This record gives sequence, C-alpha cells and structure tokens, in this order.
Amino acid sequence: MSLAQKYPNEVNQIMAKYPPEHKRSAVMPLLYLAQREEGYVTKDALKDIAQMLDITETDVASIVGFYSLYHDHKAGKYRMQVCTDLPCALRGADKFLADLCGNLGIQVGETTADGLITIEAVTCLAACDKAPMFQTQGPDGIKYHENMTVDKTLELIEALKSAGKEVK
Amino acid sequence: MTKQLTLTIDGVQVTVPEGTLVVDAAKMAGIDIPVFCYHPKMEPAGNCRMCLVEVGRPVIDRATGQAVMENGQPKIQFMPKLETACTNTVSEGMVVLTQTEKVTEGRKGTLEFLLTSHPLDCPICDKGGECPLQNLTVEHGPGKSRFLYDEKQHLAKHVPLGELIWLDRERCIQCARCIRFQDEIVGEAVLGFEARGRMTQIISLSEPGFDSVFSGNTSDICPVGALTTADFRFGARPWELKASASICSQCPVGCNTTFNTRREAKAGGEIVIKRVMPRQNEEVNEIWMCDKGRFAYHYAESAQRLVKPTVRQAKASWTDAFDLVTQTFEASKSDVVVLASGRLSNEDLFNLKSLADGLGGKSILYTDMGGGNLTAQVGVGQGTDLGKLGKGDTILVVASDLYEEAPVWYLRVKQAADRGATLIVANSRHTKLERFARYAIRYANGDEVKTVADLQGDSKIAQEFANAQNAVVFFGSDGLGLNGSANLAAACAKLLQDTKHVGKANNGLIGVWQRANDQGAWEMGFRPEADLASAFKNKIVYIVGADPAGDDPALALALKGARFIVVQDILETLTTHMADVVLPAQAYTEREGTYTSGERRVQRFYAAVPVHGEAKADFAIAGEIGRRLGLNTENGSAMVTFDRLAASVKDFAGLDTNKLAEVKPQWPIVGRGDLYYGGTTYENKQGLGVQLSTAAERGEAVSLPEVRAESALRPREDQLLAVPVTKLYDRGQTVASTELLTQRIGEPTVSLHPETAKRLGVAAGGRVSLAFNGLSAEALVKIDDTISAGVVLVPRSMGLAVREPVSVQVLGLAEAKVS
Repeated sequence: MSLAQKYPNEVNQIMAKYPPEHKRSAVMPLLYLAQREEGYVTKDALKDIAQMLDITETDVASIVGFYSLYHDHKAGKYRMQVCTDLPCALRGADKFLADLCGNLGIQVGETTADGLITIEAVTCLAACDKAPMFQTQGPDGIKYHENMTVDKTLELIEALKSAGKEVK
Repeated sequence: MTKQLTLTIDGVQVTVPEGTLVVDAAKMAGIDIPVFCYHPKMEPAGNCRMCLVEVGRPVIDRATGQAVMENGQPKIQFMPKLETACTNTVSEGMVVLTQTEKVTEGRKGTLEFLLTSHPLDCPICDKGGECPLQNLTVEHGPGKSRFLYDEKQHLAKHVPLGELIWLDRERCIQCARCIRFQDEIVGEAVLGFEARGRMTQIISLSEPGFDSVFSGNTSDICPVGALTTADFRFGARPWELKASASICSQCPVGCNTTFNTRREAKAGGEIVIKRVMPRQNEEVNEIWMCDKGRFAYHYAESAQRLVKPTVRQAKASWTDAFDLVTQTFEASKSDVVVLASGRLSNEDLFNLKSLADGLGGKSILYTDMGGGNLTAQVGVGQGTDLGKLGKGDTILVVASDLYEEAPVWYLRVKQAADRGATLIVANSRHTKLERFARYAIRYANGDEVKTVADLQGDSKIAQEFANAQNAVVFFGSDGLGLNGSANLAAACAKLLQDTKHVGKANNGLIGVWQRANDQGAWEMGFRPEADLASAFKNKIVYIVGADPAGDDPALALALKGARFIVVQDILETLTTHMADVVLPAQAYTEREGTYTSGERRVQRFYAAVPVHGEAKADFAIAGEIGRRLGLNTENGSAMVTFDRLAASVKDFAGLDTNKLAEVKPQWPIVGRGDLYYGGTTYENKQGLGVQLSTAAERGEAVSLPEVRAESALRPREDQLLAVPVTKLYDRGQTVASTELLTQRIGEPTVSLHPETAKRLGVAAGGRVSLAFNGLSAEALVKIDDTISAGVVLVPRSMGLAVREPVSVQVLGLAEAKVS
C-alpha cells in the first residue's frame, strides 16, 4: 500500500503546506510519516515519496542518510544514539560508548537480543557540555539523556524494559 | 554590456566582467588557484577549501562613499581569515594574494585533511598521471601527514554505481562534482551523498544504477580516481596513450572526440583504442559527450569485421572484385542504383554520387527521415551556437526525443532553457526534455503538422515564437516515417521563414537525423526513396554502409528482385550475405574524412588505429571503381577528395583543410596542464570545423515545398497503429557489438497505453505478439500513460521493422516474462 493510500489525510495535509512548484520541500514531513510505524523508511516508501514529489529516489535517500533522525533499516524498539563528536569525545564519550556496548554485549549498530535497544554512534546532538550524552528514539518520541554513566544507562534500560512489560 | 571591474591578483592588474569569480579571474590572468570542487561549468560549491586565498577590499568611507586613501593609495582591508576564491566574485579595487605564507599553509592543511583517508594507491589508479589530487599534492601538499596511518578509514573500493561506472569510496574526496553535474547540467539527479562528515559517500539508487546517458562525463571531471568507466578501468596508464582527434559517428551532433590508443600485447602488438574522450568544442559539445559515443566504438573491433573482398560469397582479391564490379557497372550503366547511408563521410558520399551520376544511375539515401533539402536552405546560420541561446530566444523541439536521439543536443537545449530561453517541446508523448519546457504540447499522432501550423496564430506560444529574438527548430522522426518527417520539415521551414527566423546565426532549422552524416549525404545530392522495392527491381544495386536486409525483412525480399548486388560495409550483415560482391570498408577509426553535423558544421576526423585486414576507405573504393569506368574520381587521399568536393558542391565553396583546422581560444581552459580545472577533456588543437552558410543567409531565393495537411496516419477506432520511435542504445550495427551496453540495449520493448494493455490483458513486463506488414514478432511491454490509446510505440533498430506508422495487430501473451 502506498503512503498516500495508507495515510490519505495526513499526506494531503502535508502536501497542502507547500506550493506545487516547491512540493519537494514536503520530503521531511513525509519521511517522518513514513517511518512512524516501522521505525524506518522502507524501500517502497522511499520510491513512493520520490514519485510523489517528482524527485529521484537517490535524492530522498540522501536526505535519509544525512539526518540521524531518519533511518533506512530496521532496529530495536529504542535507538540509543550516542554523540561521539570531538567535544563529546573529549568528555569521554568514546569510552562511555565502548563500556556500554561491553556491558550489553553488542557492537555499535547492533541490537540487544530482546530487540529492545539498538546502540548507534551519531555526530553532534548539540549538547557537548553535558557529555557523555545520547538521545533515545522510540515509541515515546525523542528524549535527551545527559551527563550519563554506564550505570545510569543500565538503570534506564531496566526502566524501559519494565515499562514495556507494563504496557503489555 | 556587462560592467568591467579591475582588481589586482598577485600584483597583476586584471579587468574582468562583473560577476566573475576570483578563481576564474585569476585563471584568465594566467594565475592558477588550485581547486577540486570548483568547476567552471558548474555553480560554485565551496566545499573542498583548496582555493583559499587572501582577499582584501578597498576601505570605503561611509560618509563620502569614497575610498579611504593611505600614502596616496587606496587603503586595503584584508579579511582576517582566508577566503575561497571559487565563491567570491570580484569587486572593484580588490586585491587577491595567492602566494603568501598564509595561503601556502592553508593549502598544506587542506591537502593534509583530504589525504587523511585517501588510499594513495596511485600506482594502480586509473587516474594516476592525470590526477588533480596527485598533481596538486605534489605542488602544494605537506609531504607528510600527522594523522595516524593505522586509523585510516577503509572503504569499499569496487562499487558499481551501474554497470558502466565504478566507484572507489576510499579515493573519493566528496567534492560533489559528479552529483552537481548530474543535477545542474543534466537535470537527472541520480547521484547523491549519503550520511555526513567522514561517513559521506556517493550513492545511486536509480534503476538501472546511475541511470543517465551522460555518466561517463563524471569520470572526466572527477578530480581523483573515484569514478572510473567500466570500459577503461585498469585498462592503461594515461602516459602510455596517444591521442587522435576524431568526430563521433553515432548521431548528428558531431561531438568532437579524442581516441586514446596504445600498442597492446593482448592485441598481438597492434595499436588499439583504449578509450574515447571528449575534445572541447564549445559550439558543439562543450567538454561533454554521451555514453553511446564513449562506449560504442567497439563495433570497429568486432569479430564480424569484413577483412577481404568476396565474390559470390567466396574470398577474392581486390583485383577480381573490382573487375567484376566494373564490368557489371559498365554493362548496365543507368541501371546502377547506389544506396548509401549517413554513416559515410562527405568524401565517400561525394565519390559515390559522382560514380552514380557518371553512370547515369540513381543515388538513394538510406533513411526513414526527410527534410535535408530544407536544412540547406533555412538551416541554422553560420556562427550558430546553442550555448549562446537564452532569455528572449525560443527553441522548438518537435517530434524528437533529443535525449534518446542526440543526447548532447538535449543537454545544450536544456541549458538554454535554464538560461531563460523559451523551450517548446511538442510530441505525441512524454519525453525527458519536457520537464524543462515552458510549453509542452502533446499532439495526437497525425497532428504534427497542424501543431506546427498552429504556432503561427494568435496564441501566446505563437506570439512568443514570432517575437523571439532568435528561434531554432529541431524536427525529428519520432512517430514518423519518411513522408511524415519530410512534411513536418516543410511545416517547420515555413514557420521559420514566415516568422523571419532564417538566414542568420542562432536561427533556423535543424534535422535530428538518424545517422551522423545524413546532412552531408543531402548536401552531396543523395535523396531518400520511399519505394525501395521498385527502385531495386532488376537493377544493379550498390549498397554502401547500410544493412537494409537486416533492418527490414521486406527490404530483404525487395533485394531479391535486384539483378546484381554489391555491398560495401565494415561488418558482416544479412545484406552482405545476399551480395554478389562484398567490399570490405575501413571503419572511421582507421581513416580520415569529414562529416557534416545537423548544425551543418563540417568537421574533420583522423585515423587512430591501423586498418583491419584488406579493408579500404569507402571513398577510395568508389573512387577506384569510378576510375576504372573512366571517371576522374580520386582514389587515394580523402583530403584531395574533399578539395574536389569543395570545388564542386556549392555550399562547400572555399572550404579547405586549413579552414577546418582553425582554432580559437575557448573557455573554460582545459587540457593537460589544466586538468584540475576543466577535467581530463582534451583541448581542441585540431580544428573547430566550419559551419556551412545557408541559401537564406546568402540571400538566394528559398523555395519551400507545399505543406500537406496530413503528415502521418492516425490511429483509427478499430485498430492499433505501430509508430516508430528512436532508442539510444539499440541493436544497430554500430552499437550492439559493444558488450558493455548489452544490459542498456535490453530486449525489444513496445510501449502501450494502460487502457490498451488492460484490453490486451498484459501488464508492464508482460509479452505481446505483434503482426504488421505481413510480419510477426514478440516484444516485452512497457506502460506509458502519455501516449494515445490507439498507438503502440515500437523502437527502431530493435528487430521490429516499423519504418513508418503502420496498422498492427497486437495479442497479449499469457506467459509472463521472468526476468
């Protein structure tokens, strides 16, 4: 099913915001819509958006690739995106990331066995002064977690786990 | 006129037009500012930082608006940091310093960063030896890196972006020249960047990969060895290559090219072509060429090449072959019919015409497109340069898919539209050029002439055409056969004549011919013939550079009616199989000559490789036959033949080899020393060619034919009409033998309207059988909702012989094609 068939009202609303000659500008909200359900933009959705906006798939993929908030592959329920840019690295982000991965028994980019957490390294989340820091992207939206330690992070993961159970 | 500004670069005073970039101003003054991402054909990007220079501007007193003086000189305020010369435009009194310690440090730093993860695999890199990164590193680099060798990023080195272009991710410096070329110049954004920072990578998601017919150009302008062509990759080192000037023989644009050759062990020590590169001619192809021209040259190396004459299909000596041909021609004289194609050079066609005339026989141009007699009268005037068209000018493209038929014209017309020219695209279906058109007219098949006639009315489009400063009309044979296109040409000629867009530069008619030198054939006096079967009947047929039997079974049948068949070609074909005598001809890579482009520019090409077997040049064979028949035809030198031609064909009067070899300074500056700036395109040292004058600009009487109301069949309610269209990569003799293009050539595919497909019970990718002209064939189906429900688009030269619109029976085949 195409995006327009799946979310007719929202697609129309988004498209109405931009003049027809600048419809390519609708790419960001459409991508956001496309990954709402699966947590990533599928190949079909990519094609769909390109066609709707009369731009190439490569163009759309470039945008997905540029932003750390868009994804082109499936991941765990929560993406934990650790900023490892230079200022964060100076405040120990690299070590934090390595230790966290060690504790969870996974590599950067991998997902925990229970499918709950995917660890990703990203660049610049604009909170250098509070590094090590990361953002979580999940069903409850995007959240910043600053001045983090591995212990605090493991606590957070436990909380996310039990929160998941309660919902069940 | 644009305001001129004066600035000082390294103490040299330079005066340039307002809006000029600092980097270009320096180049004009002979000062090289190193660049990677900047390219003079594209908008500046400013992302590589290689062109950093010190820029100072005069201090202006706000109160008086006058320059502040200091010691009798204007006081110059330098910017605290280095600035990019590629994004700053010049200003009056600007002072630019490109050789200071600060600048040197800046360049060193930039190169050190660019090389942090560069593999430095120059010894095995195709670009090594003509690589801007290599050259500029030697000239400006730090010589040593402070980065840790072990922390170098390792990335994929063999990434096919498509089957034609390969990407080496490690070598890429993210200058985006390729991405910007595809986006800005071609208008097909099939390349893009993925991710950010150190992770930035080139991607292409199109289907097929890197889906553009201009892809090869990106490897020319790539300032590193990141993009290489599948054809040349690991093929040779640039310094081993010799360069021979040539003209592309694939379409009427006449792109100036260079054959790079070397002696090769694999070829038994023979000299072979390793690659084809564009050669700069700003009025023809600028510094670009299409992939067909770049890759399809392999046909000249095909195993099907004819190497020895045959008589009745048995190998024979040239003497025996000439004897038999001469005796037969001598005995039959006016019964000789010469059928020649626009694949031949002007000299070949001139000699063939002289031969036919000398015998009192007939000379026929092998084509399905008419109108060449009109381009000689109201064609574009001398000095025409599509690159000069812009605001206030109008271009009409009618019944032609320039992208598929003449890609570099597509590029040039698209860019004229970008500069503000009014582009009118009229066709019976969607074509790629439509996207850039101010007016896209979709006519019903059969309404071609009416559509052009309507441009002489009161409509807004008509007014815009009439009032255009300059107007150029491209007409083609999309959906049309010989009669239809000839009639369309007449309608276009009338439109131009009536609106006074003839007889001057940048105005007039251009034929989008099916072969490179069709225009030249018309100039030499060859004319097409609608009824070839009658023309062949009981005649002595001399076929040169054409394969009628292979193109159309009906023509094979027609040839059976001929009394005697002589075929002169470079490859073995179905037609050579029917011949009494076969004469092997040299490929254009093996000899010299001239072609006349669609813009009527006469351009010279040279021999690049040795002759295959015993093949002789077409003009020499025709010349020899002529001599044996007592005619004074030249049989030795192509350029002597050209001189004779110039002395006898009126429009060529006064032309000689010196005129063809004239060059003038061109912008941007390209060539070996400047390849970091303009790419690896070759500088044109061999001649820009000469555009012929038209009857209209010589003030001669122009006689245009009557325009018939109808030009082609229309689809009828109860039937489907098969209409021919042109596909760039087809199964033509000069394309199909290049294996690299097999995937792009694909299978014969016809386009159907969705309704028609539904009625026939087929979907995209399904199969149909077609029955027309007493023939039947199968083809794959493509859906095109822009065509009329009554037509089936049939590609030319794909094994489905549709020479003009014809009624067709189509049946959907149940079996689905598994791809």
